[in-house]
Amino acid sequence: MSYLLRHLRVTFPALITTLLFALPSMAADILVENARLVTGTSQGILTGASLLVRDGRIVSIAAQGRPKGMAASAEVVNADGAYVTAGFFDSSTTVGLLEVGGGIDNRDYELRGTDMGAGFQVSLGLNRFSSLIPMMRVQGVTRALVRPNAKSSNIAGQSAIVGLAGKPGMIMRDNNAVFVDLTEKASQFSGGSRAKAITDLLDALDEAALYSKNTAAYQSGDLRELRQSERDLKALLPIIQGMKPLAIHIDRAADIETILHQLDPYNLKLIVIGGREAWKVAPMLVAQKVPVIVNPLDNLPSSFDQIGARLDNAALLVKAGVMVAFMTEDVFTESRSLTQAAGVAVAYGLAWQDGVNAMTINPAIIWGIDKSYGALAPGRVADVLVWDGDPLEVTSRPTKIMIDGEWMSPETRQTLLRDRYADLKKGNTTFGYR
Amino acid sequence: MAEFGILGPLRALMGLSLILSGLLAFAAPLDKNPFPSTYVAPASPDTAIIGATILTGDGGEISPGYVVIRDGRITAMGEGALPAAEKGIARVIDGHGRWLTPGIIDVHSHLGNYASPSYAGTSDGNEATAPVTAKVWTEHSVWPQDPQFPLALAGGVTTLQILPGSANLIGGRSVVLKNVSSRTVQGMKFPDAPYGLKMACGENPKRVYGKKGGPSTRMGNVAGYRASWIKAAAYAEKWEKYDRDMIAYNESLTKKTRKKDKVEEPTAPERDLEMDTLRGVLDGEILVHNHCYRADEMAQMIDVSKEFGYQITSFQHAVESYKIADLLAENGICSAMWADWTRFKLESFDGIDENVALVDKAQACAIVHSDSPWGIQRLNQEAAKAMAAGNRMGMTISGAHAMQWLTINPAKSLGIEQQTGSISVSKMADLVLWSADPFSVYSRPEKVMIDGVLVLDQVTGLKPVTDFELGLGGKTL
Repeated sequence: MSYLLRHLRVTFPALITTLLFALPSMAADILVENARLVTGTSQGILTGASLLVRDGRIVSIAAQGRPKGMAASAEVVNADGAYVTAGFFDSSTTVGLLEVGGGIDNRDYELRGTDMGAGFQVSLGLNRFSSLIPMMRVQGVTRALVRPNAKSSNIAGQSAIVGLAGKPGMIMRDNNAVFVDLTEKASQFSGGSRAKAITDLLDALDEAALYSKNTAAYQSGDLRELRQSERDLKALLPIIQGMKPLAIHIDRAADIETILHQLDPYNLKLIVIGGREAWKVAPMLVAQKVPVIVNPLDNLPSSFDQIGARLDNAALLVKAGVMVAFMTEDVFTESRSLTQAAGVAVAYGLAWQDGVNAMTINPAIIWGIDKSYGALAPGRVADVLVWDGDPLEVTSRPTKIMIDGEWMSPETRQTLLRDRYADLKKGNTTFGYR
Repeated sequence: MAEFGILGPLRALMGLSLILSGLLAFAAPLDKNPFPSTYVAPASPDTAIIGATILTGDGGEISPGYVVIRDGRITAMGEGALPAAEKGIARVIDGHGRWLTPGIIDVHSHLGNYASPSYAGTSDGNEATAPVTAKVWTEHSVWPQDPQFPLALAGGVTTLQILPGSANLIGGRSVVLKNVSSRTVQGMKFPDAPYGLKMACGENPKRVYGKKGGPSTRMGNVAGYRASWIKAAAYAEKWEKYDRDMIAYNESLTKKTRKKDKVEEPTAPERDLEMDTLRGVLDGEILVHNHCYRADEMAQMIDVSKEFGYQITSFQHAVESYKIADLLAENGICSAMWADWTRFKLESFDGIDENVALVDKAQACAIVHSDSPWGIQRLNQEAAKAMAAGNRMGMTISGAHAMQWLTINPAKSLGIEQQTGSISVSKMADLVLWSADPFSVYSRPEKVMIDGVLVLDQVTGLKPVTDFELGLGGKTL
């Protein structure tokens, strides 16, 4: 009996893994050799190293030369000494939830004029065929957190973690966190005061606890009426149980202090999103082990919440011991490039490896997927990028992109447009036939 | 690149009439510069910058080289060590291991008219009360204490054009500023820079006015531009007739004229602020900067400009310029572009990373602009992205070449290329000394000079702090 249980425990996850990665397993071994391997582990950066991929996973790494046990039929890619990194993770984006930024009616990541809160589940609106997905991928982003945006309630809804291969099974962790917006701009959803927004959040959490203890009474109509719908309440249960994180978009230092203090008795798993002034309260964030998701490019005092915004926010936070990950926030314009954002953070004092970590192992830890993602090490999912230069340089791009052990096409809608108009004189001048 | 400075024959003719009316200023007093620049660069020590890799901004590279600055102007430059004759100069800045470039010029900015913090109270960029507001001058919106100005300076931007927004078909006059600390806008105005006129194609005007009386379509937009130019041409004609009549009248005063031939003193036409500005465009004095995304719309705007005899100096944003780069080269029109913005609205759906490089390849004038208080802080990185995108598709664009997108080409499109925009003798000493190759993400402006005055120095911590920032407990970088 005990043998059977132990056996089941081992084989069930293994079985699921096999099912999930069954398709790419048809491919032969892939070896990337002669690489400047940024492992993200205690191995650090290995030059002249190689990495062997089988069945969608990294099976071995050789610090020098080729690893043992490689199939004779293996596909061999010579990186010619180029940087090879794990795939990058964008910790807050809306990719797959919209095609165009403005001038269209629906944005599947935000709600207008409804009172739905935590129950809002953005993953249901995801489009794995979106032509934006390859555009993010060619910049080296292989995984992302897609988030709801608060537009009619401070509690924005539930996010998801996705893979950007554009294949079935895009959603890796559905409803992985609940997002809340407590910034100045979002106080309009709570009577125009951030103070009320905070008490609304506390009330919502208390309601969920009440619902949790009295579910039967609630369902038989014997509990007082609750403000949130049952769907909203259910979404908050794993939050109050500390199973899933509550991600709070907040910038002002004083607000971070107030909220950490107010939420302290709840024993939640908290993540600060934005945190433009987080550097001012870094010791408190360290003490309470609260990570911060930063957009390193945003140093504008664009509101009174952000007067202290600065380009070395990430550097100061990391120096103080805060766990930091990066986000682009905007798919289209200001901060399209996650690697540029990381490069700027490094230009303003962050160590290079910390810049890479904020797109790899740190988000993997923060979002709870670090057993399989975020580093180049045996057993991990093979999200691998081969670069044409320093990955944090604005002039660099991946030359090869692997997700789940499979090479991705470099083609995007943009490369098709480029190729059509690359030479205006040569070829068919009726461009529609090119 | 003279191709975008050449006057069309019609403009030349109109330029002549302008000279004539200028001669008769006493007769028709029209102050064309009622808000004159009061900018005067403070005195600065004569300076030599030595040992740096110089990207001259007009395509050249000198490594290592020296630049000598006296009275705020570049007086000598060259390869190698400082010539003996220049030794003993008051100040020597050691640029070994560093890069020296001209100050960056951003042709599309809203610093000051969309200031930070961003609230209704600081939203002064769009006079969105009518689709044509050629009467407004955006310098009257610019807040010189906008904390975004020092941030742009920290990115090496020494000159910038502030444009009205793009809500309107014709949005008003732009203003060209030096990025200097000043109590007044007049104290920032680039001396003698021509005015620009902001026009806008496409989605913005029809969105803003669709339910406010129109235009609500692109065809409505074009009808709006044409109606305005028809009025402007009539207005210009009225004034030209008045100028001619005034000449005849003045002559009649100096001659003995028979009574029946006596000329009556003409009455000046009524002045119209809107028409004054549009007439300035028709006269070739005011440069048109046309916000336009799509290739087909740019082609339409070129025809409108030909119909009424004005030159489009630049298309702003121009995300589809790569589709018509030949047409833009032929018509001598600059494209001011982002490196990689795309799909933030439908008319930008076809934006590609190679746009800048492909426009440049067609020998059309390519400019990298920001239109963003974030982007303006790292235009060097934006140019680097555009350069790399071109090189990845097989071009061989050097840093020295790409630097033109940030310096001499913007200067030409603003009509200030005789003054700034390259490192050459007699030009203003608007310079940036970079900590590393400016096309690297890790490079930062270590020192910035405007007219020879050190306005930012990362080594000593010298930098301007706006009134707004004082006492707020923030420290922006």
